[in-house]
Amino acid sequence: MKRRKATLTAAAAGTVAGVVGLGLLALPTSASSAPSLPPVGAEQLVESVLREQPPAMGGTVKVDNALGLPAIPGVPEGSALLGGGETRVWLDGHGRGRAQIASSGREQTIVHDGTTTWRWDSSSRTAVRSTHPDAKKPEGTVDPSAAARQLISTIRSSSTVAVDGTARVANRDAYELVLTPAPSERTVLREVRVAVDAEKRVPLRVTVLANGSSDPVLQAGFTELAFGEQDAGLFKFEPPAGATVKDDERKPDRNAAKDHPKPKIVGDGWDTAVVVDLPKGKERGEQDPLAMVKQLGKPVEGAYGRGWLISTKVGSALVTESGRAALGAVPEQVLVEALGSTR
Amino acid sequence: MTTAPLTAEHGVGAASAAPTPAARTSGLRKVYGRTVAVDGIDLTVPEGAVLGMLGPNGSGKTTTIRMLLGLTAPSAGAVELFGRPMPDSAAEVLPFVGALVEGPGFHPFLSGRDNLLRCAMAEPLLPARAGARELRAAVDDALERVGLAHAATRRYRGYSLGMKQRLGLAAALLVPRRMVVLDEPTNGLDPAGTREVRQVIAQLHAAGTTVVVSSHLLSEIEATCTHVAVMNRGSLVAQGELADLLDGGTPTLDVVTPDREAGLDALRAAGITARAEVGGLLVELTGTDAPTAVATLVRAGVAVHEARRQRTGLEELFARLTEDER
Amino acid sequence: MTTTADHAAAPLAGPVPRTSTLRLVRSELRWVLRRPRTLVALGLLLLVPVAMGVTLVLSSTPAGGSGRGGPPLLGAVIGNGLVLPIAALSITMMLLMPLVVSMSAADALAGEAAHGTLRGLLLAPVGRVRLVLVKAVGVLTVAALAAGAVAVGGWVTGVALIGGDGLVTLSGTTLPLGTATLRVALAAAWVAAQMAAVGAVALAVSAATDHPLVVMAAIMAGLILFTVLGGLSALDWLHPVLLTDGWLSLADMLRDPLPTDNLVTGLLRAGCYALIGLSLAIARTTTREG
Repeated sequence: MKRRKATLTAAAAGTVAGVVGLGLLALPTSASSAPSLPPVGAEQLVESVLREQPPAMGGTVKVDNALGLPAIPGVPEGSALLGGGETRVWLDGHGRGRAQIASSGREQTIVHDGTTTWRWDSSSRTAVRSTHPDAKKPEGTVDPSAAARQLISTIRSSSTVAVDGTARVANRDAYELVLTPAPSERTVLREVRVAVDAEKRVPLRVTVLANGSSDPVLQAGFTELAFGEQDAGLFKFEPPAGATVKDDERKPDRNAAKDHPKPKIVGDGWDTAVVVDLPKGKERGEQDPLAMVKQLGKPVEGAYGRGWLISTKVGSALVTESGRAALGAVPEQVLVEALGSTR
Repeated sequence: MTTAPLTAEHGVGAASAAPTPAARTSGLRKVYGRTVAVDGIDLTVPEGAVLGMLGPNGSGKTTTIRMLLGLTAPSAGAVELFGRPMPDSAAEVLPFVGALVEGPGFHPFLSGRDNLLRCAMAEPLLPARAGARELRAAVDDALERVGLAHAATRRYRGYSLGMKQRLGLAAALLVPRRMVVLDEPTNGLDPAGTREVRQVIAQLHAAGTTVVVSSHLLSEIEATCTHVAVMNRGSLVAQGELADLLDGGTPTLDVVTPDREAGLDALRAAGITARAEVGGLLVELTGTDAPTAVATLVRAGVAVHEARRQRTGLEELFARLTEDER
Repeated sequence: MTTTADHAAAPLAGPVPRTSTLRLVRSELRWVLRRPRTLVALGLLLLVPVAMGVTLVLSSTPAGGSGRGGPPLLGAVIGNGLVLPIAALSITMMLLMPLVVSMSAADALAGEAAHGTLRGLLLAPVGRVRLVLVKAVGVLTVAALAAGAVAVGGWVTGVALIGGDGLVTLSGTTLPLGTATLRVALAAAWVAAQMAAVGAVALAVSAATDHPLVVMAAIMAGLILFTVLGGLSALDWLHPVLLTDGWLSLADMLRDPLPTDNLVTGLLRAGCYALIGLSLAIARTTTREG
């Protein structure tokens, strides 16, 4: 009986250990305590971010969103970015880079080797090549450094910028830069926090907080990051056998198809709204955008006629029957005004 | 088989150093839910004995055997095999114990030999270094012993009930044992098979092996056992040497006669103790036997309508138990 | 026989005779691998990638189109034969392989109990803890053979029928044959580890019942439940605990450079399940009626 009791005790311990192990796996990576770092001024921090070139590094970026976006059937590429997918990023510190956007059973790879950008999609097995005479950073990569820089420079005029404590991101010490819209701004956003690496001055994480919600509505940041020389082979791309190779004939801005009219910007700062005319009819096998909007949006009416409103926690879009659309991180009223002012 | 006496000799030697019974239980109790399967079993199996566990179906024989072997943990009480507590000492004791409990258990897709070979590979007494040949030899020996050599390569699936039972017996006899426990070993056997099992038990006994055999048939116990334990409704009703239990009590003769006075006188004259009962006489058969008593009465001119020997001891007990069952 | 006598000559004194674990394991494996249904199951698993390969060759476009709707990896197999073993692994590991492994675990304890042979082993005696461990080796072997059968069948079919110059990864790089084969082996080993976790849980169920079918039904029900729970986004706090949750990351084997995070987490998760399953199996076997 004694032996039996000992066996049972050991078995119980084993079970508990297994359950605890599972619990540890389920726990979010422990929010380690904020490191203590020498104080730094906000201006100084922003400046250093703008000044520093992103060094050679490799890491994984994870995007978490709680935008409250309706599920969109047949969303175009890039959905993996918003869908909580993981993107692996490598930079060589001299303008070359690679990003791999993983989604279930599929991967998109973007490689910029200094002169040429390759975009590979495993599901269609196509490699699209675009050549840039000037060595620019690869577009479309989720490089937090570029994202943050853009954000800071646009918003500085209309926001309070402050350093609010420190954080630990991807096992690195970071300052938390907080951008708060000035009281005059009409926006649904509450604040944007950017974690900046204390040593390398590279933005590590961008967090967007909206009014009426304590959890971030959008967070993009490194979950894993290592600075240092990266394998040179990563910054080359050789189309694999059996792949379709295409040259990109579109303009560098690939989100606007060639027949898209130029969008108009209304307002500035946080309450900027963009007004565009939607392309009509079906093109490139995609769904008619208006039909999709009708499916997703809430019907509204106003001076612009009839329309549909799609609102999320970080902003809204208003599409009219005539095919005009206004969007921004703003409440509906601002979009209505924007539509009116560009008529 | 020739080695069995060797084991027994050593067994006896070990026992003489510490005169412990082969098996002993005290206050053994097993409860399944709200059903009390056995209760208060104090059983002693002397080393070298052939103990028959006698009892009607459902009397707790199998439960007791399972607790003896450590297959079932008792709810209360203690079990000792060769002086070691069970089930804690199972690893030390069970190698020396062969058992066939609750019918034979084998895999249908393997042949009889392969099934036994699987048992042999788990058998601690077959040396760890034993090669395939030694294991096979032990298996063939056991098959021979139970008369299954001719069917060794046939799949167990195709065995008759009797053959399955024999294979189970063979597994219990794979190596020389100090104790063999057989639960209803003649189940499904034809008369020839039953005889063979009795022979095997006799051989084991001759070799000094302790045997515990359970049965619900008195005849089988009488034919093979030296000791008996009678069980009924989960408790031990009687235990002891077979001879003692059989002869226990005073054997009597029930005589139905109208001439009670004359009969009594005639018997007293012949020195036979008797007393009058309603409708006849009750004759004690001490120092005499039934034919003598009847002859004495008849010679004295007493009308004997009927004379019946009253069953005694074990017979009486067991008859009562089996009648209970009905 | 004389050796037997010598050995039996010292009963209950001196060292306790003990069956060598190696002999027990050998006996168990012999038994597992001679069981007709094990062989049939492994044969069927071997045929799955072959059938997939033949179908893909005969109809140049798979039913799944370019990855939407159908099994996600199937589209990547066309003209890229070395993807076949991994695609076949990812498909069979969802249901077929767990079925085979749980069948083996069901036979290991519940089946033996049903045949009455478990009693024989306990009486030999094989200690109860050792019994479970030996049984676990048997189940692990079936898990490894199941994954191996699919991988080998897929590799041979992929190379022979579909071919391709090395392995084109999802990331667009090309791995040479040697590295690709290593990836396939790695994928098979990873799947075998996941199946071992399923097997350990199945063994725990197997220890608790005398009916082999109960084990298989329980495992299938568990897998379906986990899949359903895994599909509910409202429960995503629970997802990291679900064994099946990490199974989709097998596709990571087809990415280059190999992202190890999810695969390692998957292994740790499988390890936790294996530990829990084995502990419960031991606990139950220790207390069960023989």
